[in-house]
Amino acid sequence: MRIPYLWLKEFVTITETPEQLAHRLTMAGFEVEALERIGDDTVFEVNVTPNRPDCLSIIGIAREVAALYGTKVTFPDLNIVSEPKELDFNIDILDSDLCNRYAGRIVHAVTIGPSPDWMQERLEKCGIRSINNVVDVTNYVLLEFGHPLHAFDLNKLHDHRIRVGTPATVLGAKEPIAFTTLDGVERRIAPDMLLIWDGKVPVAVAGVMGGSDSEVSDATTDVFIESAYFDPGSIRRTSKRLGLKTEASYRFERGTDIKIMKKALDRAAQLIKELAHGSMYGKLDIYPKRWCSTPIPVRYARVNQVLGLSLANAQILDCLKGLELEITEVTDTGFVVKPPPFRRDMTMEVDVIEEIARLFGFDNIAPELPRMRLGNDDALTDAQRMMRLKQKLRSAFLAAGYTETINYSFIGEADIDRLRLAASDIRRAGVRIQNPLSEDGTVMRTCMLPSLIRNLITNVAQGNREFQLFEQARIFLPREGEQLPEERECLAALIYREKVKSLYRDDTHDFYRMKGALEDCFADTRVAGVTYRRSAEPYLHPGQSADIMIAGTRIGTIGVLSPLVVNALEIKAQRPSIVVLELDLSALLPHIGASVHYRSIARFPFVERDTALVVDAALESSMILDLVRSFPSDMIEETAIFDVYQGASVGNGKKSVAFNVRYRASDRTLTDDEVDTLHAALVSHVSEKTGGQIRQ
Amino acid sequence: MSEDLKASYLADLQTVTTLQELAQLKAKYLGKKGVVTLQLKTLGALSAEERPHAGKRINELKEAIESLSEAKEVELTHQELAKRLASESIDITLPGKTTGIGRAHPISTVLNEIIDIFVRLGFSVEEGPEVELDHYNFEALNIPKDHPARDMQDTFYVSDDVVLRTHTSPVQVRVMERQKPPLRFIAPGKVYRCDADVSHTPMFHQVEGLVVDTHITFSNLKGVLVSFVHQMFGPQVPVRFRPSFFPFTEPSAEIDIGCILCDAKGCRVCKGSGWLEVMGAGMVNPKVLEFGGIDPELYTGFAFGMGVERITMLKYRIDDIRLLFENDLRFLRQF
Ligand SMILES: [Zn+2]
Repeated sequence: MRIPYLWLKEFVTITETPEQLAHRLTMAGFEVEALERIGDDTVFEVNVTPNRPDCLSIIGIAREVAALYGTKVTFPDLNIVSEPKELDFNIDILDSDLCNRYAGRIVHAVTIGPSPDWMQERLEKCGIRSINNVVDVTNYVLLEFGHPLHAFDLNKLHDHRIRVGTPATVLGAKEPIAFTTLDGVERRIAPDMLLIWDGKVPVAVAGVMGGSDSEVSDATTDVFIESAYFDPGSIRRTSKRLGLKTEASYRFERGTDIKIMKKALDRAAQLIKELAHGSMYGKLDIYPKRWCSTPIPVRYARVNQVLGLSLANAQILDCLKGLELEITEVTDTGFVVKPPPFRRDMTMEVDVIEEIARLFGFDNIAPELPRMRLGNDDALTDAQRMMRLKQKLRSAFLAAGYTETINYSFIGEADIDRLRLAASDIRRAGVRIQNPLSEDGTVMRTCMLPSLIRNLITNVAQGNREFQLFEQARIFLPREGEQLPEERECLAALIYREKVKSLYRDDTHDFYRMKGALEDCFADTRVAGVTYRRSAEPYLHPGQSADIMIAGTRIGTIGVLSPLVVNALEIKAQRPSIVVLELDLSALLPHIGASVHYRSIARFPFVERDTALVVDAALESSMILDLVRSFPSDMIEETAIFDVYQGASVGNGKKSVAFNVRYRASDRTLTDDEVDTLHAALVSHVSEKTGGQIRQ
Repeated sequence: MSEDLKASYLADLQTVTTLQELAQLKAKYLGKKGVVTLQLKTLGALSAEERPHAGKRINELKEAIESLSEAKEVELTHQELAKRLASESIDITLPGKTTGIGRAHPISTVLNEIIDIFVRLGFSVEEGPEVELDHYNFEALNIPKDHPARDMQDTFYVSDDVVLRTHTSPVQVRVMERQKPPLRFIAPGKVYRCDADVSHTPMFHQVEGLVVDTHITFSNLKGVLVSFVHQMFGPQVPVRFRPSFFPFTEPSAEIDIGCILCDAKGCRVCKGSGWLEVMGAGMVNPKVLEFGGIDPELYTGFAFGMGVERITMLKYRIDDIRLLFENDLRFLRQF
C-alpha cells in the first residue's frame, strides 16, 4: 500500500519527519519497505499484513499513527446536502449471508470529464491511473477509506433496481451463466457466485468487477454509487475461480468495515457532486444482518504470562487506549474488549495480548532464555539417527573426493525416460504436480539418478573431464491406497572420467573406486553382511553392475552406466567412464552397528601363505574369499586377493586368482608344519569347490 | 714395531674409499693371516718376562685398529647413504597426487551450522513429509481454505488435499500430536513454492523451531533467537523484533539483524535500511496448540522459522539464489 505523507497529514497531526515516522510504523508492525520522494511529498511503501485490511487506506494508517503518538484522527468534513426528492429506486438483498449490507446514492446531471490535477496526482502517487472524474472519485475514496465503491451508469440499470444474489437464487440456475466484465472478457459465472443485478440482467460480479454494459462512460449523465459489505470467503472463492484479482476483491476478501462504508459512500457522493457538478439525492441503505462486536475477556495475569512481563493493570489498559476499542467490565483481574468493526482480526484473548505487546513495543520486552525441564525422552529421535548417518556418509564421500550437489526434488518425464525403465516400473509412477513451473519439474523424484545425470550434462558441457558428485535427499514412492507417498532418504553418487593424460598413472576401474568408497562407508558405520549380486537395472552395464544386498534385501545399486543411456546423453566425449551409485539410507539405517566391543589383541605371531589358483574366467572372486572365510578353522585370521591375471600363460577362458591367508593361534606360536598342513587342506577345499588348479 | 704397524695401517686407511676396501684392509691386519695375527703367533717365542709386555702392546694395537676401522665404517656408511639419497632426488616442485577432496554444498554447510547451534541450546531434531496433507500445511496452522493468508505462499498442488509443503511448520503439529510437552525441537528440511526468479527458487530449505512448556513467554522467544543470531552472525550484530503476522503464531514477529554486509550503514542488499530480515517467529497460536492436542490454558510456546538459502547467500555474498541449485562445479568448488 502506497501512502503519501501529505495526504496522511490531512487526518492526523504528525510532528516527526517521514524517516522517523517510517521507523515508528515499521516497529509497530507496518513495515515501510521504501520511502520515495515525489516533489515536496514522500510516499511510504507500507507492507500491510493480511490480518489488517483496515490499514489498506490512508485513514487506516492515520488511526495507527494516532495510536502511536497518542493523538486523534480527524475525519474529512462531510457536508451532505441531499436534494429532497422522492427516490425512484429499489434495492433487494436476496442472499444476505453473502451480502450483509448494501447502500447506494444517486447523483444526477453529472458532467463527465477529467478530474482536477490534485486528485490525479494523488492517485498517481498511489499507482492508480486517472480515468474520469466519477471513476477517479471512487478510487480516491477507496484509497482514503479503504472501502471499495462502484459507480454504475444509472440509466443503464433496468427498472432502476438493484438485486444482490447468486444465479442460483435469482434464476434458479444450475449451470454457469455468461457475463462480460468491464475488461471486455466474457466469463462463466458459477451458480453460487454472488452477482449484482438490475431489474433484468446481471450488472456486476459483486465485489470483484463491474460489467461492461453498465459502466460509466463519457455519455453518462446520472450515476448510482454502490457501497456494500460482502462476505470475505465468498469474494475470495469467486476471485480465485475467475482468476480475477482487483483492488476491490483484494480488500473485500480480507474483510471491510461495515460501518465506515456509509461514510465512504457519502464522501464519494459529495466529491462527485463537487467535481462533476451533479445534484445528489437521498440515500438507500439495506442492512439486514446487523454486525455486533464479539466481547473478548482478557486477564491481566495471562497478558504478563504470555509476554514475560510484569505490567501493572493500568499500564496494560494504557497500551490499548489509542485503538478505538470499547473496554468494559474492568475488574481487579481483567476486562472485556469489544473491538470496532474494522478490527475483525480480533477474536481471542491472545489477539488483544498481541496489541498490548505491539503498542508496549517488542523492543521493550527483555530477552531471557527459558528455564525448561530436560526432554521426556533421552533417546535420539529417528530424525536424529538419520541425520547422523547422513552426516557420516557426507564426510566420507567428501573425503573420497565427491563434491556435494543439491537438486530440486522434481524432475521431468524426459529425465525418467533416460533410464529406459520398463513401463510397469514403479519409478515411472511418481507423484505428479498439478501446477508445475516447467516441463522439467513435473514429477517428484522416484530415484536420484536423473538429477545427477543432469548435473553431469551441465558440467561436461562446461569442459569438465573428470569429476565425482554425490547428493543426499529424499525420493518419493507412490503407495497404493495412501494419500501421501513414501519418502525415503537416499544417497546417490557419480564418477565421470574421460581418458585424459595424467601425470600420475592410476588405472583402477572406476567401478572399484566407487565400490571402495562405499566399503569404507560400511566399515565406518559398522554395517556388516553386505553382499553384491549382478544387477538387472536397465540403465546399467549388465556386466559391470551390482545390486547391493543386505539380509536378503536390496539397499542399492552400483555400476557402470549403460552405453545405451550414455549415447542418448549426446555428450562430446570418447567413451567416458561413468559409474553411478544409489543407496537407500532408510533401508540401511537399521543395519548400522550400534556399539563396539573390544576384542583382545593377539599375542602370538602370525604366519602367511600365498596361493594362486587358475579358475574359469567367469568365476566370481568373492567365492574364493567366502570359501576361505567359511573354512572350519579358527586359525584363519584374514584373507585377501592380491592379484587377478588373465593371459595366454594361464590358458584361454581362465584366470589366475592369487590370494593370501594369514594364520594365527590365540594360545601359542604356530609351527610351519602345522600351517603347511592346514593351508594344504584349505587350498584343496577351495580348488575342489571352484574347480581350480594351483598355478605353478 | 707395533707403532710402525699402526702408522702403516693409518696410511692404508687414508686410501680406503669403500666398505669393501675397508673389509679387505681389516683382513690384511687382523684376518687369520693378517700381520697383527701373525705377530700374536710370535709371542710364544718370547721369554716369560717379555711376553706380557709384548702381548699387551699387540692387543692394544689390535684394539686401536678395530676402533679405527669401526669409525671408518660409520663414516663410509654415511657417505654411501648420502650418495644413494642424492641419486634418488625427485622434483619436489611437481604437484602432489591428490584424491581431489570433494566440496560440501554451501547450503548443507550452513544448515549443519544452524542445527549445531540449536542442538547446543538443547533442541532435538524432528522431521515430517515434504509431500504433505493440506490439513497439516494449512488447516491445522490456522490457515483455512479461502483465507487470504494462503496468498502469502504460492503452493504446488498434488491434489485438492495434498500439497508440496510450503514451509516446515506442519512438523509442529505432527510432533505435538505424538508427543506431550515439554517440547523443544527444530525441524530442518526442504520446502516448495511455485515461484522462480533471482531471489526465489521453487525449492528451498527452512529450519523450523518449536518450544512448548508451562511457562514459555515472548521474552523467552527473544532470548533464544538473540542467542542464535549472536552465535550464527557474531555477538556484536544487533537484532530487532518487529510485529508481523503469521496465522499460526500470535503475537508474531519478524526478526531483523543489522546488515552484516555494510555494518548496518545501508547498502543495496539491505535496501539502504541497514537491516536484514532473517527469521519469522511468534507465540504459538492457541488454536494450533489445540489442533496438536495440547491445552493452551496449561501450556504456551513459541515457534520460529528461517530460510537457509537467505543466510547462505548473506554468508557467502551470493547474489543469485538460482546458482545454489545449478550444481555447476565452477560454483560448487569455491566452497
Ligand atoms: Zn547493508
